[in-house]
Amino acid sequence: MDNFKQKFQEEATENLAELEEALLKLEQSPQDSDLIERVFRYMHSLKGGGAMFGFNQLSEFTHHLENVYDQVREGNMQVNQGLLDLTLDAVDHLKVLLHQGDEMSDETQTRHKNLDIQIRKYLQEKQQEPETPQNSNQRQDKTKTFYIYFEPEERLFDNGTNPLFLMDELANLGQAYVMPCLDRIPRLDQLDPQKCYTHWEVVLVTDETEDAIHDVFIFVEDQARIDIHRLSQGNLLENSVFAQFLEQNYRKDQLIGLDAIKYVAQHQESVQPEAHTSQSRDASSGKSGNQGTGGQQNQGKDTGNQKPASPKANGGGKKEDAISSIRVESEKIDHMMNLVSELVTTQARLSLHADQSEDNELEAIAENVQKLTRQLRDNAFDIALVPVETMITRFNRLVRDLSNSLGKKVRLKTEGTETELDKNIIETLTDPLLHILRNCIDHGIETPEERRRAGKPEEGTIMLKAYYSGASVHIQVHDDGKGLDAEKIKQKAVKQKLISPEASLSQKELFDLIFTPGFSTSTNVTDVSGRGVGMDVVKRNLAEIRGEVEIDSEPGTGTTLTVKLPLTLSIIDGLLVQISDNKYVIPLSAVHKIYAANHSDVVDKFNNLIVLDGERIPFFYLRKEFDMPEAESQTEEIVVVQYEGNRIGLVVDTVIGEYQAVLKSLGKMYKYQDMISGATILGDGTVALVMDTNKMIDRFTSDYQQQINVES
Amino acid sequence: MGKNILVVDDSESIREVVSFTLENEGYEVKLGNDGKDALKHLNGDPIDLVITDLHMPEMDGIELIKEIRNKDQYQRVPILFLTTESQASKKQEAKDAGATGWIVKPFVPAKLLAALKKVMR
Repeated sequence: MDNFKQKFQEEATENLAELEEALLKLEQSPQDSDLIERVFRYMHSLKGGGAMFGFNQLSEFTHHLENVYDQVREGNMQVNQGLLDLTLDAVDHLKVLLHQGDEMSDETQTRHKNLDIQIRKYLQEKQQEPETPQNSNQRQDKTKTFYIYFEPEERLFDNGTNPLFLMDELANLGQAYVMPCLDRIPRLDQLDPQKCYTHWEVVLVTDETEDAIHDVFIFVEDQARIDIHRLSQGNLLENSVFAQFLEQNYRKDQLIGLDAIKYVAQHQESVQPEAHTSQSRDASSGKSGNQGTGGQQNQGKDTGNQKPASPKANGGGKKEDAISSIRVESEKIDHMMNLVSELVTTQARLSLHADQSEDNELEAIAENVQKLTRQLRDNAFDIALVPVETMITRFNRLVRDLSNSLGKKVRLKTEGTETELDKNIIETLTDPLLHILRNCIDHGIETPEERRRAGKPEEGTIMLKAYYSGASVHIQVHDDGKGLDAEKIKQKAVKQKLISPEASLSQKELFDLIFTPGFSTSTNVTDVSGRGVGMDVVKRNLAEIRGEVEIDSEPGTGTTLTVKLPLTLSIIDGLLVQISDNKYVIPLSAVHKIYAANHSDVVDKFNNLIVLDGERIPFFYLRKEFDMPEAESQTEEIVVVQYEGNRIGLVVDTVIGEYQAVLKSLGKMYKYQDMISGATILGDGTVALVMDTNKMIDRFTSDYQQQINVES
Repeated sequence: MGKNILVVDDSESIREVVSFTLENEGYEVKLGNDGKDALKHLNGDPIDLVITDLHMPEMDGIELIKEIRNKDQYQRVPILFLTTESQASKKQEAKDAGATGWIVKPFVPAKLLAALKKVMR
């Protein structure tokens, strides 16, 4: 059981997160019966699981909570703020309980009691949970003999019940003499094989209580007449007169009846039981069901024709169905990703070696390995992807708690939360996003009063949107608050000596100052976002996962922060190109098309435009940008890449081909350059640099801009 | 040949415990996350018993039981549902839908097997 316990904890943690999420949604729409049902269900699972895996306190606690929501579900109670607050507190407490198990710390214990009392208050006037009487296990030592009459409804089979199993179970309680009565079976042409026509008389000798006999029939209590009578103490079936009586009087088409049996039983009791011979015992035990199934054979044959639909043992064609999902430690996934990266690097060597060997066989193998490696890589990536959704509950909770404590009304809306990202990215992303949200609520959204004055709805909205954009995922946080005040930012920056008072900066550049270390616009420091950790930290954290952040704002209508993130961290599909003696990798996801170009078309062009497929496309001659001499060959190649919705050509010497690049960091010496996002080791051991085309084009463009500014 | 048992529960830990117990007894276990998910197993494959939770997303236990009873092949398959003591009305609802019996949560493996023996051999 213990190894399941951990699994339960993991699962319950998720369950609690989902419960929390549902509760937060419920706050928005307290009448939503689907949500109430969901809340109830999560609690229910927690309770059930808790009890099964030894979290008794947790289970009991949840039980009361569940009862409250049961009332809500039944419409006897309304969801209100007080209840939601209490439930959310309870959820927090459950998290603690899940961690501590039944051995609570003193502090937890106090909290436990307090919450429990509060929850019970909600149930006060409701009726007490009826305690179902559990089978009292007072086993009496004395053997007794019972008469049991079992008459099921005709449609007993409809529920999948097999009455023979019940007879069998009865026989397992002791010694049973089972007498099926077949008088109601109609003629074959009128017989409906779907119906149960048989009824049974059983004489049972057992040490068990009457309750235990009732338990046998517990599933069919409401579908059958079940009479249980105690005939006598002791074992009547061992009495030869009684046994003989049953044997002689049993007819398949007629009941013996309780009265007759009772009479014989009583009669036997008054008379001293005769010493029975072992022969007669044997004869009777042939019919009486001893332990096991042997005694059922008669009935099995008799009733067999009525039960065509009895479950059949499966024949061949057994299909193995795999478990639909498994839980894996995240470290294992990290490890697998590392191995896959190494494999990709090694595979590149193999491919290169195969190419050079001129051994066809080897080449074929290498090609196959390449194909498999690629599939393995994609698969491994897929495993490590986690939907953005996993973070959202935390955000919801933050928004709720924070806006309440600041006296603001804020609502978090989300869109595209099914967008998936590498789990490592998600992990690193949570904190920066939390900080961004804190900022939105603290600085962005105004108080309800201010909002009313500005003619906006009292409730502010924060929209969190996630979507794919090429090779990256964008997460956009938009608030409809007061927006950024460019002038105020400027004053502040001047005061902080971040810029000189004379500097003329565009609005965007001013906004970007927010990300400068040592900048915080809040005029009065609050304990929310003014704890010295500024947006610069957000930016730095995001940079660690190759993410970027952009800000845009419209005074009075709100602020939009866009976080751009790479899909994965470690391996990318790239296009290997050569410029002079160096090799570079351009992320394949950015590549749009490749053209061949005449040398003369791309060198010394006045406006750096080239017509490709009837479209004018701006381009950069990379040799020039990299301060290398012009190429001597007559043809070069243009790789057209996507850049902020436009297409830009990058001129390289030659395109070598597709390449899976395992990204390695350039090391801290190069952390201040951003045109190159990393390096990768090629099959022959040389290093290729991986271009960040967006940043590169950014840089080239601003260089030109400056050039133009200088010239003019 | 082992009997095939379909276990349907949205809680992974319950599924694991139940399937572990059953597999130890030599049964073949198929799993479903919820009613809807479980339907994929009701495609003609032999199923000798269904054990299902009642509260599940997508399709709850009651719905599943009705679905099963609507399929000719599975019309007579015994169905046990998992329940807690507090749900007397649910119990009736499930029985009306066609369930064979129930197992009260929390349960230990012995209790599970005892209930199972009532409806399947």
